[in-house]
Amino acid sequence: MRLVIAQCSVDYAGRLAAHLPSARRLLIVKADGSVLVHSDGGSYKPLNWMSPPCTLKEEGQGGDALVWTVTNKAGEQLVIAIEEVFHDSAHELGVDPGLRKDGVESHLQALLAEQIETLGKGWRLIRREYPTPIGPVDILCRDAAGATVAVEIKRRGEIDGVEQLTRYLELLNRDPLLAPVRGVFAAQEIKPQARVLAVDRGITCAVLDYEVMRGRDDPSSRLF
Amino acid sequence: MKFRVERDVLADAVAWTARSLPARPPAPVLAGLLLRAESGQLTVSGFDYEVSARSEVSTEIEQEGTALVSGKLLAEITRSLPNRPVEITTEGSKVTLVCGTSRFTLQTMPVDDYPALPQMPGASGAIAGNTFANAVSQVAVAAGKDDTLPFLTGVRIEINGDTLRLAATDRYRLAVREILWKPERADAEAVALVPAKTLYDIAKSLTSGEWVTIALSGEDGAVGEGLIGFEAGGRRTTTRLLEGEFIKYNALFPSEYTGAAVIETAPLIEAVKRVALVAERNTPIRLNFSAGQVTLEAGSGDEAQASETMDAVFDEEDISVAFNPGYLLEGLGAIDAPFAQLSYTTSTKPAVLTGRPAVDADHDPAYRYLIMPIRLSG
Repeated sequence: MRLVIAQCSVDYAGRLAAHLPSARRLLIVKADGSVLVHSDGGSYKPLNWMSPPCTLKEEGQGGDALVWTVTNKAGEQLVIAIEEVFHDSAHELGVDPGLRKDGVESHLQALLAEQIETLGKGWRLIRREYPTPIGPVDILCRDAAGATVAVEIKRRGEIDGVEQLTRYLELLNRDPLLAPVRGVFAAQEIKPQARVLAVDRGITCAVLDYEVMRGRDDPSSRLF
Repeated sequence: MKFRVERDVLADAVAWTARSLPARPPAPVLAGLLLRAESGQLTVSGFDYEVSARSEVSTEIEQEGTALVSGKLLAEITRSLPNRPVEITTEGSKVTLVCGTSRFTLQTMPVDDYPALPQMPGASGAIAGNTFANAVSQVAVAAGKDDTLPFLTGVRIEINGDTLRLAATDRYRLAVREILWKPERADAEAVALVPAKTLYDIAKSLTSGEWVTIALSGEDGAVGEGLIGFEAGGRRTTTRLLEGEFIKYNALFPSEYTGAAVIETAPLIEAVKRVALVAERNTPIRLNFSAGQVTLEAGSGDEAQASETMDAVFDEEDISVAFNPGYLLEGLGAIDAPFAQLSYTTSTKPAVLTGRPAVDADHDPAYRYLIMPIRLSG
């Protein structure tokens, strides 16, 4: 990851031409070869950029002046004319672990496992991540009457979540020690389509209040 | 099946029944309306396992029979027909509808696959349609919209002799309405938790008849257990009750109040709407009471601010109470009286809105709207 802060002007020649007049900007050269031109604003969006694969050619024009030419496979060019460099550094970032979008989901699973009685009085946890041949089901538990219940947890309950739970239920119900297993589809919000499908398949829907479950709820702001 | 019926009669019956059809039917037959022509009566019915609706009208029947057709399509067709008698005939698997020079042919669905409508519980009593609709709308406004706690999405109906009590809450406010009605038996006792939105729609749609009969099975195992039924002017509808306990809401009302302020309702609603324009989402509107007046304020710090002062009957020690403007407006809109009385204990304890027929009259406790203030920081 190379960061350069420089006084520069930028010309883009490709499907459409664009010109950025001379100003101070942040130039980012990433390990994948991409080059991005950022101003001090506009949030995550660069003013101009070139996606990889592309090549960066740096040419000195005498003195401080430099020209970077970034060319991609289609022959489009990003030409950055640098007048003055204020900062130039490179850092090795290594491999990124990636965005974990399911953070809330796994937290919901942990919270629900601890507070399994949210789903009904007298319910008991069998285990989290109960293995099935097609992957683990979020929670397996027993209701007050001792019947097995499989719980699938989602942030947003949509049709595919119901399908997923249906597949787990089919496999779990083949196990004579567990059967009959019924399903609970638990989510922070459940789409009407998903609810119809779940109810049609005999799956119970449960809406989870994340704020209450993680104790962020302030009962003094309410009547009860 | 073959019968003739007036266009308006048919369109009304179909439109009313089609209201309760499911938007996403799990089985195609559930999107249908069942037409049954029998002994001088045309019955139009629909059912989605939650809500059932049945409408009866008198017709000239040439040939008795039944047919199941798409409810949405039938409702749209009957609504746009010219004002002429309508003749409906079944021919094999098709239904033909002729009105003046318009002619429609509709596909039918198998009647045998259609579920039987639930039986109405026995009648518990009756109430004037408009009174009922008004009372339901006053209470349903406080019901919860999201179903994290399912009982919050319902209206609790309590029958106690000649008193009918309705209550709903979303944990931030609670609305309770008491009305007199005509019970079948003087010692009638029953409770039910009815989905608020369904109840609101039903009550609003049954105002054409003079009286609405409410049917609720009092004991376990009786006909129509788990259901509540409503009937008015040849129309019957049932809906499944919500399960779960309602909270003991009487305990939420303060046992005594420090004071009360009386303000004219309509100008207060206008003022709250104006001042609330600058209240950001989830920020309160403040009511500062001082001798003879109330000042409404919203907005703070660097944000936009607004204030407005109006007359109030108030002679206690000065007090400031802050509310969610939406909840306050819904409560004021529901009290249905020219003057509103706000009774409070402290600025952090629940306050009660009631109506007053005149500024110097006693307040009317038949409708009470309990509202939780927002605690002001600093």
